[in-house]
Amino acid sequence: MNAQRVTDDELHAYVDGQLNPDRRLIVERWLADDPEAALRAEDYRAQAALLHELFDPVLRESASDPVHELTEKLRGRVAGNDNVPAWYAKPWVRMAAAVMLVVAGAGGGWMGRGAVGTSPAVQQRQTLQTFAEEATQAHRFYTSDERFQVELNADNQDELNSWLSKRVGRDVFGPNLEKVGFRLIGGRSLPTDLGAGAQYMYVNDANKRVTLFVGAPQAGNPAKFGFTQNGDVATIYWVEGTLAYALAGRLAKEELLGIAEAVFNDVKAGPPRRDPPPQQQNPQQPPGDQQHPPEQQQNGVQPISDTQKPKDS
Amino acid sequence: MSKFGVELEVHIASLRRYARALLRNRTDAEDLVQEALTRAVARADTFKAGTNLRAWLFTILHNVHVNQVRSKAARPDEVDVDSVESKLVTPARQEERVELREMMRALDELPEEQRKVLLLVALEGLKYEEVAEMLGVPIGTVMSRLSRAREAVRAKLANEGSVTLRRVK
Repeated sequence: MNAQRVTDDELHAYVDGQLNPDRRLIVERWLADDPEAALRAEDYRAQAALLHELFDPVLRESASDPVHELTEKLRGRVAGNDNVPAWYAKPWVRMAAAVMLVVAGAGGGWMGRGAVGTSPAVQQRQTLQTFAEEATQAHRFYTSDERFQVELNADNQDELNSWLSKRVGRDVFGPNLEKVGFRLIGGRSLPTDLGAGAQYMYVNDANKRVTLFVGAPQAGNPAKFGFTQNGDVATIYWVEGTLAYALAGRLAKEELLGIAEAVFNDVKAGPPRRDPPPQQQNPQQPPGDQQHPPEQQQNGVQPISDTQKPKDS
Repeated sequence: MSKFGVELEVHIASLRRYARALLRNRTDAEDLVQEALTRAVARADTFKAGTNLRAWLFTILHNVHVNQVRSKAARPDEVDVDSVESKLVTPARQEERVELREMMRALDELPEEQRKVLLLVALEGLKYEEVAEMLGVPIGTVMSRLSRAREAVRAKLANEGSVTLRRVK
């Protein structure tokens, strides 16, 4: 079960995220020694990225009327309809759906998870790993199209931070990563299983982007760094105090680790000197709409056209 | 909207993207999805709760497509004139990027059976087993089609030097 020769099929499965975990390390070791194979893997990934770039815009187009109607019909007819309204009944659902789809091809397999036996109860049992997965998806999605990368830019960081703090229901801020060469360009709020999360986006001189995803977990596991690799996106995640952090980027693990360290230190040092607005902690906030109606939370840039179907919820 | 409703919505968005990538024409793609969904509604009772909804939908779409191709072949003089006009999915600005154009062309040049496998795996993220079942071929066939498709695209892109460009970025 170890160093047998890696097959061609395994190289594909590695790229597609369909390789079983105990072979993954073996494949990775082989790739480290075989530049030609590593190049192939990289090219295959680049192909997937190009396909997404070409065809993901379809996700932002609204479907034809007959397709809408049939979707409704099917919703009522197919077995498994659980009719749980919950937080899924929000306008951002479609955006979340798109996030899942964008990731499905390049990362492989995550969507499949939803297909079998996920009761709402299971779905709500949020783990740190799902949080990291969401961060990875969000990274992939929002770095894929520069038009939609941030909801609010970082021209006024105080404004950005207090807006996102309101969303998350905790005090959050975008740490200063200039020491490691990354500049904050802005952020957005995003749905997670736990309610809203905040995504901060950074860029360096080489135009590489990393995103920091911040959310409020139900129960905090103590600070322990976790690492996942999904396709070409690496993610490091941890919990600090009442917040969970996930840093994602198309970078080597070591490089990302260096940035994670900078995040960790800056978070420890606390927010930049500003008085947080007199807005109190509100940990058990119902996800979704705070004082803003859902329409308003979509202001400005929005990855999915919400003309798609306004009649839900 | 229920959890199930969301899942359905996700899969249908996925069907639409796949149909577009396969047919490269907005009208044809929506028609294909529409016909597939019509059939899905009619056979809704054949879907078992808790089984793979996505695979079920993709299989229906595939079968409908195969039938369409067959009946088109039977009437070869019916050529869709405006199919060319709506070929481009993406805004022109984006399409200008050489590597995207080359990817599009490389995709066009693949035999359809390879193109399908590449799109289902690399774009839609289907599992190899799901693809095998959907297409009704052994998994080994899926793997060899995938491999040939990727190598063909790779050769094409390498010729243009665009993959190299991408790598530098």
